[in-house]
Amino acid sequence: MQLIRQLMQLQAEHGYLSNDVLRELSERRGVPLYRLEELVSFYSHFRRTPPADRIVHICRDVCCEMRDKKSRDEFIAGQMDSIAVGETHEVSCLGRCDAAPAVAVDDQPTGGGSGLSGGVVRRNAQADPYAGQSDRYGTVRQLADDIGTLKSVCVDRLTAAGLKGMGGAGFPTGKKWELVAAASLNPPVIDDFALFDEDAKHPRKYVICNADESEPGTFKDREILSLMPHLVIEGMLLAGLTVGADRGILFIRHEYGPERERFEEELLRAREGGVLGSDAAGSGRAFDIEVFVSPGGYILGEETALLECLEDKRGEPRNKPPFPGQRGLWGQPTLINNVETFALAASIIHHGPDWWHAQGTGGCSGLKFVCISGDIAEPGVFEIPVGTTVLELIEMAGGMRNGKSLKAFLPGGASSNFLPADKAGTPLDLDAIRAAGSMLGTGAVIVFDETRELFPLAANLVAFFRNESCGKCVPCRVGSQRAVELLQAASAGPANALGSGQVPLTQTLDELNETLEQTSICGLGQVALHPIVSMLRHFSDEAPG
Amino acid sequence: MTMAILANPATIKVTIDSREVEVPEGTTLWEAARRAGVEIPVLCHAPQLNPVGVCRMCVVDVGERVLAASCVRECQAGMTVATNSEKVEQHRRTLTWLLLSEYPEQEDRQPSADACELEGLGRRYGIVKEGGIRNGEFGKDGFAPHSEFPIPISKFDLSSPVIAVDHAACILCDRCIRACDDVQNNHVIGRTGKGHAARIAFDLDQPMGESTCVSCGECAAVCPTDALTHKPITLPIVPDERTTTTETVCPYCGVGCSLTVHSRDNQILLAEGHESPVNHGRLCVKGRYGWDYAQHPQRLTKPLIRRDDAYPKGPLSSDVAGNTGGRGSRRAGERDGSKPGGIVDYDEVLPAFSEASWEEALDLVGERLRAIRDEHGSGALAGFGSAKCSNEEAYLFQKLIRAGFGTNNVDHCTRLCHASSVAALMETIGGGAVTNIFADVQNADVCLVAGSHSTANHPVAATFIKEAARRGTKLIVVDVRRHELARFATHFAQIKPGSDVAFYNAVMHVLIAEDLVDHEFIQQRTEGFDDLKQLVLRDFSPEQASAICGIEPDEIRAIARTIGGAKRQADSPSARDSQPSTLDSPLPRMLIFWGMGIAQHSHGTDNARCLISLCLMTGNVGKPGTGLHPLRGQNNVQGASDAGLIPIVYPDYQAVGDSSARAKFEAAWGRELDPQPGLTVVEIMSGALTKDIRGMYILGENPFLSDPNANKVRKSLSSLDFLVVQDIFLTETAEFADVILPATSYFEKDGTYTNTDRRVQLGRKILDPPGDARADWQIICDVATQVGLPMSYESPAAIFEEFAGLTKNYGGLSHANLGPTGKLWPCADPQAGDGTQILFGDRFPTSSGKGKFVPCGYLPAAELPDDEYPLVLNTGRILEHWHTGSMTRRSKALDAIKPSAFAKLHPSDLAELGLDDRQMVRVASRRGEIELQAIADRSIEPGCVFIPFHFREASANLLTNDVLDPYGKIPEYKYCAVRVEAVDGE
Repeated sequence: MQLIRQLMQLQAEHGYLSNDVLRELSERRGVPLYRLEELVSFYSHFRRTPPADRIVHICRDVCCEMRDKKSRDEFIAGQMDSIAVGETHEVSCLGRCDAAPAVAVDDQPTGGGSGLSGGVVRRNAQADPYAGQSDRYGTVRQLADDIGTLKSVCVDRLTAAGLKGMGGAGFPTGKKWELVAAASLNPPVIDDFALFDEDAKHPRKYVICNADESEPGTFKDREILSLMPHLVIEGMLLAGLTVGADRGILFIRHEYGPERERFEEELLRAREGGVLGSDAAGSGRAFDIEVFVSPGGYILGEETALLECLEDKRGEPRNKPPFPGQRGLWGQPTLINNVETFALAASIIHHGPDWWHAQGTGGCSGLKFVCISGDIAEPGVFEIPVGTTVLELIEMAGGMRNGKSLKAFLPGGASSNFLPADKAGTPLDLDAIRAAGSMLGTGAVIVFDETRELFPLAANLVAFFRNESCGKCVPCRVGSQRAVELLQAASAGPANALGSGQVPLTQTLDELNETLEQTSICGLGQVALHPIVSMLRHFSDEAPG
Repeated sequence: MTMAILANPATIKVTIDSREVEVPEGTTLWEAARRAGVEIPVLCHAPQLNPVGVCRMCVVDVGERVLAASCVRECQAGMTVATNSEKVEQHRRTLTWLLLSEYPEQEDRQPSADACELEGLGRRYGIVKEGGIRNGEFGKDGFAPHSEFPIPISKFDLSSPVIAVDHAACILCDRCIRACDDVQNNHVIGRTGKGHAARIAFDLDQPMGESTCVSCGECAAVCPTDALTHKPITLPIVPDERTTTTETVCPYCGVGCSLTVHSRDNQILLAEGHESPVNHGRLCVKGRYGWDYAQHPQRLTKPLIRRDDAYPKGPLSSDVAGNTGGRGSRRAGERDGSKPGGIVDYDEVLPAFSEASWEEALDLVGERLRAIRDEHGSGALAGFGSAKCSNEEAYLFQKLIRAGFGTNNVDHCTRLCHASSVAALMETIGGGAVTNIFADVQNADVCLVAGSHSTANHPVAATFIKEAARRGTKLIVVDVRRHELARFATHFAQIKPGSDVAFYNAVMHVLIAEDLVDHEFIQQRTEGFDDLKQLVLRDFSPEQASAICGIEPDEIRAIARTIGGAKRQADSPSARDSQPSTLDSPLPRMLIFWGMGIAQHSHGTDNARCLISLCLMTGNVGKPGTGLHPLRGQNNVQGASDAGLIPIVYPDYQAVGDSSARAKFEAAWGRELDPQPGLTVVEIMSGALTKDIRGMYILGENPFLSDPNANKVRKSLSSLDFLVVQDIFLTETAEFADVILPATSYFEKDGTYTNTDRRVQLGRKILDPPGDARADWQIICDVATQVGLPMSYESPAAIFEEFAGLTKNYGGLSHANLGPTGKLWPCADPQAGDGTQILFGDRFPTSSGKGKFVPCGYLPAAELPDDEYPLVLNTGRILEHWHTGSMTRRSKALDAIKPSAFAKLHPSDLAELGLDDRQMVRVASRRGEIELQAIADRSIEPGCVFIPFHFREASANLLTNDVLDPYGKIPEYKYCAVRVEAVDGE
C-alpha cells in the first residue's frame, strides 16, 4: 500500500510521474526501478507525461455506447472552450451507467450535461435498520460485550439467513466468516515486496471491503457507500470482531471520489463515537478501517488481484488455492466481502434470519440491491425483495425507454450471459437466474430494446474484457485479443473475415471460449467470451454475414 | 509461494494417470508427475524457478469445474489427476495455437542454439510442420496468423552488446523475470503495460543496453523461445553436429563457477553455467561472454627475442612509456569519433622483437639466467608466478625458483590482494584460507560484507549474499562506496576511507559494553581477549570512533546490536530445514566476507585482525552459518598460495625457515634449499632498482599495470639485466622483456584450480593452442632443465600427484578423484566425500590450539589529503574487467560494454571543481598523473575518487602509493592523495 500511495502522492504533487521522480523514489526506498515501471504502466491512474490543463474521460463501454452522444460532445466542447490544452480519453466503465453517456472531468464524475442521478435508492429503508435515525451501530454495541457470543451470533445468523456474497461468486458469507475466524496466522512472508513493507512483518488478520465494482452496468455499491456507509462500517466491524482482525481496509475505485468522501465522513463519526478505535464499540478489541484508493483497473475487483495491489504489485490475480481466507494480504488470513455483503450482513445480524427470510418474495429470501441501465426509462439503483422478476424491475424503473419493447437483457452485468426477452419473467434470484442460463453476478441488469443490433454490443463487451485483462495468463491475454480481432473482422464483412469460412464463426468462438473458461487463472478470462457466445446462442441470426 | 518441502513432511498419495504416487506434502502436481516419470508440457516453469502458472500449458484435470495448472497446484491426498486426457490436450493445443498465432516465423527471429520450446509444442500439436512452417490452422479451420504486431515499440532491442531481445518472440512466460530476480538477484526485468499490450521491460522501460542490466545472461539462458538470445561472439550460435561441449571451470574470479563450453572448429562459441555446489548454474558477464580472448589475433604464437637495436631496454608503446603525446593524439582521435585508448598497438611494440625458435629462446633464457646466478648469486634472481595458472603450474614454478634458481624470491599477485588478510589469519587462527564456504551465507543470521564490492568482483557469490538478505539474513555492508549490495542491507555504513579499525573497534566496544559476546567461546577457544577489551573500551567508544569513521554513534550501536542481538525472524522453510536448530547458540550466526577494501591498506593486517576479533568474540567460527571469508580475487589465488608461490613458505604453508620442512622438500626435489625467506612482489621491484635483483622470470603477471607507483615500476623493469616473460599476449610488462615465451590460455590445457571456498576443480583443455604456443607447465619444465634442474612430467595429473603428496591439505586428492564438481580441501574421504566445508570446529591450528585476539589501535593512511592533493583516491575493479585487462579487454563483449577508463566522483565534488559529468580530467598524485573521463556517481563518498586499474591508457597505478603494510607487505592501493582538474582545452 505504501508504495502505490507514494506514487499517487507524487503524481498529485507533480501532475505526472517523470523518470526523475521515479528514479528518486527508487533510490530513496531501495525499490528496483523495474518494480516502479511495473506499477505505473499497469494502473490506469498513473501517467508518465505532463497532464493537460483539463482531462476529460469518457466511457466507451456498453451502456454509454448505446446512448446518443451529441449532448455529451457539446458538453465536452464547452469544457475545453476556456482552457489552452485539453485531453480526452476513452476509458473503461466509470460506474455512472445511470447517467450515460458518462463523463469525468479531471477525475470528477459529471453527468456529461445530463446531470448525475446518484444519491437515490428506490424502495430504500428496508435493509438499513438505522434509516432515519441519528443513533447507529446499535447492533455491534449490543453484541460487543462478549466476543464469544458475538462470533457465534454473527456466524449463526448469517448462516441461517443463507446470505451469499454479493460480489458475483456467491460464496456463503457465514461460512467465509467462520473459516477466517478459525484460520491461524501464518509465518510472515519474506519476499522482495514484504521486505519493503512494515505491515508484512507483523502477522495479523485483515478485513477488506471490496468497493471496486467496475463492471459495465454496475453501480449499486456506489449508492450503498453513499447512502449507508455506517452499515458497511458496522458490517466490517462485526466481521473484524468475529474473525479476530484489527485492521479493516476499504478498497475503493478512484472514480468514486464523492462516495469516498461520504464514507470517510462516516469513518470520522464512527471513530468519534468510539465505534472504531482501540476499544471498538466497547468490545475491548481494537478495530479501525483505512481507505485505500484503487489506482485503477476492473481486474482489481478480483479479490486476489486486489490483494496483489495492496501488496504494491501489479494487480494480477493469484493462482488459487490458497484462497484469501487461508493466505490473503501479506500471506495472512483475510476476509474479503463486497460493499453490499457487509451492509446486508449488518442488517441480518441486527434483525435475525427470520426477518431476512420474510423479506423475499415468490418463495425467495432476503433483499438485494440491483442497478438497472441500458434502454430503460429511469436507470438507477433499487432495493428489491429477492424474487422480484426482471419484468417487475423494469416496471419499477419506469419501463423501457421511449416505450420500446424488450429484446434481451444481461441480468448480472457484462460477465453474465445474454438472456432473451422471454426470460424476463425470471426472478432476480441466484438460483433462478442460473437455471435460466445466466448468473445474477453483480446484480447489474442491462436491458436492450427491440431496435438494438446485439452483435456490436456483445463485441463491445468482449472488448471490455480484452481491455481490462491484466495479461498475466496466456488464454485471457492472447485469447481475448484474438476474439476481438475475429469479431472486428466479422463485422467488417465476410470478405474481411479472418477465417477461411470452412468452420462457422460460432464454432471457433465456442472452442476458444471453452479454453478460456477452462484454463484462465481468474474469472475475467473465464467469462471474457460469454457475452458473444451467449448472445449468438439465443440470437444466431445476429451474426454478420 | 515457496515450493520448498518441509523438514520432515508427511507424505500423501495421489493418483496420476492411474498410477499411485506418494509424495511429500506441499509437492506440486507437476513435480509429482515428473517424479513418476510423467512429463507435463510447460513453458513458464523450470525446476530452478518458483512456479507462476501463467502459460497454462501444464493444466491437468483434477475433476474440478476448471482445469488446474499443475506447476502451482499442490497435491492433495486422494487427488485423481489426468495429465493427458483428450480435453486437456485439446486446450493445450488451443493455447499453443494462440501463442504461435503471434509468434514470428523462424527467418524473422534471432538464431539460437536451443530448440524453441514453443515450436516444439507446435510440432506436437501439428501446428508447426516440417521446416518450421506453420499451417495456421485452428481447429479444423484456419485463420491467418496475427498480422499486426501489437507492441508500439520496435520488435528488436539490440542495444545490449551480448543479448538480443525480440519482443515479438516473447510469450510473457516471466522466466527471465524470475531468473533476474530470484536466481541472480539483479532486479532489472519486469513486465510493463497491461493485458495484450504487456511485454517485458528493463528498468523504467529502457533499452536493455541502457538499463542497469549487468549482462549476466541468465535471462537468455532460461528463455524458452527466441525472445532473449545470446548474440554470437565468434561463430553463429546454431545447432551443428560438430559442436562439442566440455565441462570446465570459469577462468576468471575466485568464485570458480562451473562452465559448460560449446566449441566447434577449434573455436568457442558459447558458454553456459551448469549445476554445481559452487554456482548452481549461475554465471556473470565475464564467465558467460568473456572467453573469446583466447582466440584474439594478438595471441603470441612464437617465442620472441628482443632485437639488438631495442636496447637499452625500456617501454615500447606510448602508453607504457608515459608519453602523453601518444595519448594526446588518441584523444584527438576521440574527437574524430574513434575510440580512445584500448589495447596495445602491436605495430608499436612488435618491431622491437624478432621471432625465434623454442630452442633459440630457451637457450638464451638458460644462458642469461645461469650467468646471473653464477655471477651475482641466487638472490639476484626472482620469479613472479601467476594466480591465473593452475595448481600444477604454480607448484612447478616455485619448485623451479627454489630448487633451480636457488632462491625463495618467488611471489605472485596474492601479495597485492590478500597478503594482509592471510598474515592476520595465520597469526590469529593458524590458517589463511576461508573457514567456511560463501554459499553457507544462507544459514547465517547476520552477514557482514566489509570492503568488498562483491557484485562486481565476485558476482556469482554476491547472488548468494543477496538471496540470503532477501530471505531474512540481516546484511551489514561497510564500505566507502555505496555499492549495489547496500540496497539489500539492513545497515549500510559508508565509512571514511581508511577508518576501518576505528569502526570495528567501536562495534566491539559496544558488544563488550552491552555484554553481547560469547563468553564460553572466548574462554574455551581464544586467548588475549582482555588486552583487546581494555583497548577498545578505553579508546573506541562509538563517539570516539565516530569522529574518525564518520558513522553516527547510534548507528554503530545499532550495527553491534544486530551482530550480537536478536535472531532472525521466521524464515522460509527451505532455509530452515537445511540447518538443524541453533537455538542453543547464544548469539546470531554471522558470516563475514571481506575484500580489497580491508586488505589493501598500509594497515591492512590490522583491518583484518579486527574482523577476526569480531568473529572470535561472538563465537562465529567453526559452525554452520558462521565464519571468515576473504573473497579471493583470481581464479587460482587460493591454489597458487597453497602450492607455495609465496616467498616464506613451501607448498601447504610449510615455512622455509622450518628446518624439518626444508629437509622434506630438499629430499623431494634433490637440491639444497635456501633457508632465508625471499622477497615479496614490491620488494623485488624495488630490488631491481637497486640492482639487488638482476634477472627475473615473470609468468602470466603484468606488474607494470598491477603494481603500485608505475613510474617506479617502469624504472625497475628497465633496470633488470634480464627479463623473461611468459604470457599469451605481449603485455605492458613484456615490453621490458629480453625474451617472451608464448604460453597457452586457460582453455588450451588441463589443470586444477582452487576457488575461494578451497574447492579444487579441474579445468579442461578445449582448444588447441595457436602456433607454437606451449602449455605453461611444459615451458616451466623447459626453463628448469635449462638452469640445471631437469624436469619432465607426463601430464598435469602427474604434477598434481607430486604436489599433493608433499602436503597435508591436498593429501589424497588426485585428478582422478576430483569428480565433475571438485572437492574442498582438506578432504578426509577423497573417493566419496566432498571435503571439509567448515574449518576449526574444535580447535585452531595455532601453537596453543586457540584463536588469538590481536588488539589494534587506529593508524591513519600513509598519505593524507592536503591542499595540493585534496582528494582520496580509491582504486579497484569493475564487473566487466579483470585485473590488468589483458584478457577482458580482448573480449569483444566485455570491451564493448566497458571500453574506456573513467574516474568516478560524487556529483557535489565535480560541481565544486567546476567539472561536468563525462568531461576529460587529469588526476594527479605525487607520483604521476593520468587523463580520463570523469563520471558523476552518487555512490562515491564526497572527497573521494574511484578509478579502476584495468586500463593501460590511464593506469591507476601511476598514481598509487607503494607504501607497504608492515606484516602483509601489501601496498596501499586503497588510499592516496590526488588532485582532479580539467584537462587543458577541454
